[in-house]
Amino acid sequence: MVDKVAKQLALQLNNVGVSYKVRSSLFRSNNYWALKNVSFNIYHGETLGVIGRNGVGKSTLLRVIAGIMAPDKGSLVNTGVNASLLSLQVGFIPYLTGRENAILSGMMLGVTKERMLSLMDEIYHYTDIGTFFDQPVRGYSSGMRARLGFSVAYYTEPDVLLIDEVLGVGDADFKEKSSEALKKRIASNETVVIVSHNVATLEQLCDRVVWIEEGVVHMEGNATDVIDAFKKNKGKPLPIVNANKVGNSQ
Amino acid sequence: MSSFNHYITLIYQKSLSDLKAEARRGSLGILWWIVEPLLYVSVFYVIFSLIFDRGGDNAIQNLLTGLIVWKWFDSCVRQSSTSIITNAGLIRQVYIPKVILPIMVVMTGTMKFAIIFAILLVFLTINNGIPSSSWLTLPIIILIQFVVSLSIGAFAASIVPFFPDLRLLIDNGMTLLFFLSGIFFNIETVSVELQGYLYMNPMVGLIESYRTVLLNNELPDFKMLTIILSVSLLVLFLAIKLLARYDREYIKVI
Repeated sequence: MVDKVAKQLALQLNNVGVSYKVRSSLFRSNNYWALKNVSFNIYHGETLGVIGRNGVGKSTLLRVIAGIMAPDKGSLVNTGVNASLLSLQVGFIPYLTGRENAILSGMMLGVTKERMLSLMDEIYHYTDIGTFFDQPVRGYSSGMRARLGFSVAYYTEPDVLLIDEVLGVGDADFKEKSSEALKKRIASNETVVIVSHNVATLEQLCDRVVWIEEGVVHMEGNATDVIDAFKKNKGKPLPIVNANKVGNSQ
Repeated sequence: MSSFNHYITLIYQKSLSDLKAEARRGSLGILWWIVEPLLYVSVFYVIFSLIFDRGGDNAIQNLLTGLIVWKWFDSCVRQSSTSIITNAGLIRQVYIPKVILPIMVVMTGTMKFAIIFAILLVFLTINNGIPSSSWLTLPIIILIQFVVSLSIGAFAASIVPFFPDLRLLIDNGMTLLFFLSGIFFNIETVSVELQGYLYMNPMVGLIESYRTVLLNNELPDFKMLTIILSVSLLVLFLAIKLLARYDREYIKVI
């Protein structure tokens, strides 16, 4: 669908590598490259999935795209979009009310105070916790907290939404509601990058999928093709890595 | 420019929120901001003025002035130095210019200081009568102390994430500076040579300036204040550079 219209570039990763220092003794440390050489484009309006085994650097990749972490190698080209992680309960302070936390949290996510104030009615209704909205968050059940956190994140609407694994949150009712809301948004024209090892979710939602293996892009393309290849590969043993690296990744 | 304005609003909102949260925490609420410094001052009054019998005629006023401005400095520096570490959860989720984290801490500390300092001024007025025009220089001294606290706090914040063990050094270093700030003794009673070293602690000159203005009704030593301000601005500049340089690296070490 996206292929039919001219693709407009939103973000571009060029040979991105990210390394972590792993300290082996007091003065010695090794670099462990979580991502070695990753290049791909993110286009406006598409839903891009990222698959890979556990610990392959998917979350690191999202942080680079979100601009939270600088790549140690290569570069991230941003055409002027604001990309942010779908983050729940950012900066919540237990002694503040739901409303106060919603405003502060939204501002932390980069939304102006005026915009947050104008969104309050919608967030209040969406959260659906009644008078608790104006009571301190410390008295909330975890389900209520999740509701508030999701509503704030949902209404902040960045240009590029980055989702790490979790789709629905909260109690059973709200899980369905939040997951449906996200799916609707993903299906719309919004630009979304979604990371998961849940193949079924990605197959259902994504236009395109990038498969990361051993810190590099193993395969990229049409969602069904990549996922089929990934599934076939699933039973096979993990790629051989040298002993040194295994030790470091612990 | 719009994001600059946004961050300014965010600093204000966060500082205010932290104050609100603090006020709601205890049953005494906002009263704690007055009671706590009073308790703090009383402890030292009992130890140094009653037991050790130090400080001379103006003992309580000297002590109050020194302790209250020291406490502002102390809380700003200690809390700023860990501001990146304590906000690890936030930093992992959203991008925030790290430089605003120590600023938020110093702003919250300043708002609390404003309340207790106003009480000090009232107390001094009741005891010593109508203040002199020298008090008009107070905003300058306060502003300079603000810059001093922010510069040291931000500088500490910029390096502590890489060397977490520094926290212990900073804790003990602050205690040392506290006893060397001339809160409990008159700086002029030590040897001239030693004085030179003591004045390297910016709080010595600042506390002296507050006392000159508030208790002696004289003008502070502007030359000394200018030196303190210049050095602090330099440190602040360096701190901002470091925080910007490692802005997106801190996430890997915290």
